[in-house]
Amino acid sequence: MEYFVNLDRFQGPFDLLFYLIEKNEVDISDIPISEITKQYLNYLDKMREFNMNVTSEFVLMASTLLEIKSKMLLPVVVEQEDPRQNLINQLIEYKLFKQAAEELKEKEEDQSLYITKPKEDISIQEKLDNEQLILNEINVYDLLNIFKNLMKDNIIEEVNHNEVKLFRENYNVQDCVNDLLEKIKEFKKLSLFSIIKSTMKREYIVVVFLSILELSKMKDIKIFQNNVFSDINIVYCTKG
Amino acid sequence: MNLHKNKMKSIIESLLFVWGEPLSLQDISKITNIKNKEISKLLDEMIEYYNNSPDRGILIKEYNHKYQFTTKKENFNYVQSLFQTNERKSLSNAALETISIIAYKQPVSKVEIESIRGVKCSYIIRSLIDKGLIKEVGKLDKPGKPSVYGTTDDFLRHFGLKSIDELPEANLENYEEGEEKIT
Repeated sequence: MEYFVNLDRFQGPFDLLFYLIEKNEVDISDIPISEITKQYLNYLDKMREFNMNVTSEFVLMASTLLEIKSKMLLPVVVEQEDPRQNLINQLIEYKLFKQAAEELKEKEEDQSLYITKPKEDISIQEKLDNEQLILNEINVYDLLNIFKNLMKDNIIEEVNHNEVKLFRENYNVQDCVNDLLEKIKEFKKLSLFSIIKSTMKREYIVVVFLSILELSKMKDIKIFQNNVFSDINIVYCTKG
Repeated sequence: MNLHKNKMKSIIESLLFVWGEPLSLQDISKITNIKNKEISKLLDEMIEYYNNSPDRGILIKEYNHKYQFTTKKENFNYVQSLFQTNERKSLSNAALETISIIAYKQPVSKVEIESIRGVKCSYIIRSLIDKGLIKEVGKLDKPGKPSVYGTTDDFLRHFGLKSIDELPEANLENYEEGEEKIT
């Protein structure tokens, strides 16, 4: 006998038994146990041949079938239940859920034709609704925006394109870092707007920003901003 | 009065649009300060309106008193051409078998599911929980306190069911017949 069936499609021993019952067109309540057992065992051999993992459930069913078969061979002395009954009940129950699964599959396929949209990112609104003051940790881009704002306020010197001025570096980050760190240690919390004054030179503002970033990188400070374009608070982190 | 009603519908429409996910009757009621009953009526009218408007490409679906905008099924082929990949999130046959047992027999324990399917189901149950389609709904008062499982609202959404009562009924009748045979 030849088989052209994809063996791994069987979800379990009931599935396989079911397939055999349907293929043989026999009544589920009157299974020709000898024939079905033979075919079932053939299948297990085929599965092994294809190096498929014959799980213990399939083996258990094989032994159940053989047990039923042997019971049926014995002469009936006392009136007793059909040895197949238990198996038949299980098969009927399994069949119901297999059908239910098929119907659910149809429902699933139908539902997949209705497309929905993911939720809007409303986390900001949610936070605004919450009236508590929440310090949002800000990112590099927020810092950039603040920086741009400050730069805009400073009058930009006219640049003579024919002439290139070279400046000596008057400020360095290391000094500024030390200065800031001292201040922050003293006050615990500093506002960026209070550090940067309009009289400062562009170069110094740059150095202050670099220093803040450096301190943040070294995890000496945390930077918070409540709203876009608002003041940035620098808080000293005590290291554990 | 009619003006007021239209305004309410317009608000509900905006809420559903922004939320994207199924939004519950209670939430809409809390936001708009209108009684559940009235909102439910408004939503029914809106659902009917979308269904009966051939010039609209969206409709409202209901899952366990939660409402969500979806596209119309007829437009799927057009909508699909916007997708980058053609990935359909359908469940395997094993998962479908398991979830149908849970859906019809809930609350149900792993042992019961396994005895019906005849195979071990731990992995499938775990993955169905991870997908949010089922959840632990309690524990049996038996040795080992085994968990029992039931379906979630996401289950309804995955299969497009308004409520658990919308499960195909024919099977349940068959099931009882089956039980009669057993006895």
